[in-house]
Amino acid sequence: MSKNPMHQFEVYKIGPEIKFGSVDLSFTNASLFMLISATIICFFLFLGSKNKSIIPNKIQLIAELFYNFIAKMISDTAGSKAKPYFPFIFSLFMFVLLCNMVGMLPYSFTVTSHIIVTLIMALFIFIAVTIIGFLKHGFKYLSIFVPKGVPALLLPLITIIEIISYLSRPVSLSVRLFANMMAGHTMLKVFGGFVISLGVLGGWLPLSFSVALTGLEILVAFLQAYVFAILTCIYLNDALNLHH
Amino acid sequence: MKVKVLLVVLIVFYKINLNAAEAGMPQLDPTYWFSQAFWLILIFSLLYISIAKFFIPKIKDNLDDRENKIKDDLDEAKELNELAEKKNLEYENMLIKAKKDVAKILLDSKNQLDKSINSKKETFEKDLENQIKKVENEIIEAKKKSANKINLMSEEISSQIIKEVTGHKPNDATLKKAVIEISKERVNKNL
Repeated sequence: MSKNPMHQFEVYKIGPEIKFGSVDLSFTNASLFMLISATIICFFLFLGSKNKSIIPNKIQLIAELFYNFIAKMISDTAGSKAKPYFPFIFSLFMFVLLCNMVGMLPYSFTVTSHIIVTLIMALFIFIAVTIIGFLKHGFKYLSIFVPKGVPALLLPLITIIEIISYLSRPVSLSVRLFANMMAGHTMLKVFGGFVISLGVLGGWLPLSFSVALTGLEILVAFLQAYVFAILTCIYLNDALNLHH
Repeated sequence: MKVKVLLVVLIVFYKINLNAAEAGMPQLDPTYWFSQAFWLILIFSLLYISIAKFFIPKIKDNLDDRENKIKDDLDEAKELNELAEKKNLEYENMLIKAKKDVAKILLDSKNQLDKSINSKKETFEKDLENQIKKVENEIIEAKKKSANKINLMSEEISSQIIKEVTGHKPNDATLKKAVIEISKERVNKNL
């Protein structure tokens, strides 16, 4: 491995080059780790829903725990109207969580540390939520930009701020996840590099930092997946229940 | 988080200066953006379809089954509990009735016993009274008889004594009269 802490984020081709016109769609290490994460999710859910026992076994219990966790999160933030979107948010949470967690394994690749991946997910959510909002409420959905109870003098300013904040949703959503993942992994790599360069005598301090950071990063991996899912729920709530 | 991002940026700039060829963020290299987007959409779509069509309904079924089973069991337990309470009530009523019956039987038998004792006592008392009366009559008769006998014997003894002393026989009628008078005074007093 290179000493460059950014080297871990490099994408390279695996297998033959797949070209679609002039667009390169080759299978890369990023694709491989997406596939690994998705396979782990499917395997885990398969084991978790395999036997129909009244008293669940451990994997079944964890799968049902995730199910109830997401179901409760959706009903708490977006209400009962968001029920049809439960499979999507469940898939989203599981995918982001597993990508983050698989990325915590040494020598692995963190799919979510790439801005393009998080941006596509965030843009998809943003566009889907906007479409849902317009389908549910028609042009009344635009009233989301005009909050009630604001003095008439401030209203133009507030409306502009609301529009900017609405449009910056995909950016904030994607950059939050991407920056957290990249920063954490870079820090781990930097401290790892310090361990090697300081040797047996001085390497213990950065090593202990590395250990502590690994724990922190696992927490961040879960937290960012949760934040990503709950923000999706909140955006969905804005589109489904027009509160303003 | 801000501190972390700042640190990363600093490190990135440091590396850019140090090693210009390797520097930069691979994230911003657009070579594989389309590839990543394509594979992300493909893999996530497949994941979404398998979760939405296969895993979520199954987990939901499992959870619903469990909930229903628990509900059914609870309902059954409630029913059984109600039944048990009903039976208990019935049993208690039976017990109360039985206690009442026992008290009644006890009272009846006591009354009957009292009655029979009383009737027996009465018969016995009547019997006793009759016997006493009979005996009393017998005594009275015996008294009378013994008084007559005593009188007769006294007359004879008196006539004998008078005959021995005076030498001639006394008048029977006078003697009898005298003996009866004396016996009325003395004998009847003792008998």
